[in-house]
Amino acid sequence: MDHIWEECKIQAFDSETQNLIKAALKDSSAVDLEKLSEAIVDQSLKDRSLCRDAGHICYALVQTEAKHSNTNVFRRNLLTRLQKEFVEREETRKRSVQEWVCVVSFICNIFDYLKVNNTPMTALVDPVYDCLFRLSQPDALLNEEEVDCLALQLHRVGEQLEKMNAQRMDQLFYLLRDGFLLQDNLSSMTRLLLLEVLEFRASGWTLSAAAQRYYYSEVVD
Amino acid sequence: MSYTHKYRRDDDCKVDENRNKGSLRWSHCRKRGADGSVRGPQREAESTQSSSKREHRPQRPESFTTPESEGPVSRIRNWGDEVEADEMRTSVRRDMQRYRRRILAGEFVQRERKTSSGSSDSRDSRDSPAPGDIETDETVLMRRQKQINYGKNTLAYDRYIKEVPKHLRKPGIHPRTPNKFKKYSRRSWDQQIKLWKVKLHAWDPPAEEGSDLQAVEDFDFDMECSVDPEIELQYPKSTSASSSLPQDSCTGTPSKMMKLDELEIA
Repeated sequence: MDHIWEECKIQAFDSETQNLIKAALKDSSAVDLEKLSEAIVDQSLKDRSLCRDAGHICYALVQTEAKHSNTNVFRRNLLTRLQKEFVEREETRKRSVQEWVCVVSFICNIFDYLKVNNTPMTALVDPVYDCLFRLSQPDALLNEEEVDCLALQLHRVGEQLEKMNAQRMDQLFYLLRDGFLLQDNLSSMTRLLLLEVLEFRASGWTLSAAAQRYYYSEVVD
Repeated sequence: MSYTHKYRRDDDCKVDENRNKGSLRWSHCRKRGADGSVRGPQREAESTQSSSKREHRPQRPESFTTPESEGPVSRIRNWGDEVEADEMRTSVRRDMQRYRRRILAGEFVQRERKTSSGSSDSRDSRDSPAPGDIETDETVLMRRQKQINYGKNTLAYDRYIKEVPKHLRKPGIHPRTPNKFKKYSRRSWDQQIKLWKVKLHAWDPPAEEGSDLQAVEDFDFDMECSVDPEIELQYPKSTSASSSLPQDSCTGTPSKMMKLDELEIA
């Protein structure tokens, strides 16, 4: 795991946290892992790009700790904190949609990266679904920010989620389809995102070349 | 693939009175099972039934009231606990597949029965069970794995595996981890674990600097023997040391040697 921090975007963390991360990756016992996990979560939830990518670093830290001292302090703390954020999500959403979107992105990112014996954590499956269901409610579909988050997460973890609970995925897509067809006041961007996601899943969580051209030809990288 | 612990959903939970009472009655004295849920006698009976039943089990009530609490207490399901249980479960499953393959591949050779003084197993531990005859109950396997983990998470075990590679192990002298896939009664298994852990103590790290060694140096050994360097070598092997103390070091001071023994065990 040499210089994994170069692969991950840890520059977005403040310098103190960056140093802690580097130190922990060298020797996990040299660092207060509880404090580190708090710092990582705090900063990730405030930063749009971090919340989408912090999972990679977290995974590296979990692995290092397990290998080094066979303990799970970092992971346990991370999950406890995440659980707290999850439980308070409705209040968070009322306070700030941006923060709420970060919470969802972060939880999904952790779900994506922190695997247990190469399978995603079962404990997170329903919470992730709950978040996506919330994002599919009529009031949320009115916000492009939330729809964008929904689409992104489905692209990243949709397939894995479906494997772990297909029934809920079906139910989620009923909601999305209904929203797309029946809700009048959606923006055209929202409609486009929803349609793309519907097609994405229908073709087995992949985008055909034609669909790629259709949806992304106008997009400037 | 929904497991036993469905996270609290916004759906309705059915209140199952009997189950609730059962787990309350035993919640004081029963440990939590490996999956974090409070174990009671009902659950153990249930767990022997097929695992598919678990998925259809109605949601457990989200709160309950115990005599000691002032009001309803919510059932806290902690992600950290759930993930650790998850991890153990997948490890156990993976171990089982591996074990099955090894049995089928005939890797276990029937060795001659030797009289092994240290064997804690009445059934010959070297016979391989038939592939259909292994323990498959997940609750049992998880519980056993947890007990094994307690033993392996010790400094003694670390030192043991560093000191004695597997191929150099001598049966009877070197402790052997009980095989969680073999069918044993609960008592038999618990006893095997106990004996295994006791044997592992032989590899406990030496006493910390200062405390015990100091006391030894203060000992007023018999004039006939100077401070015997051999005595310090005794420390790594503590509890089983009683029979292996050097006979020739200090004569005529059996009481002091006893003290040394006690110190080592301390």
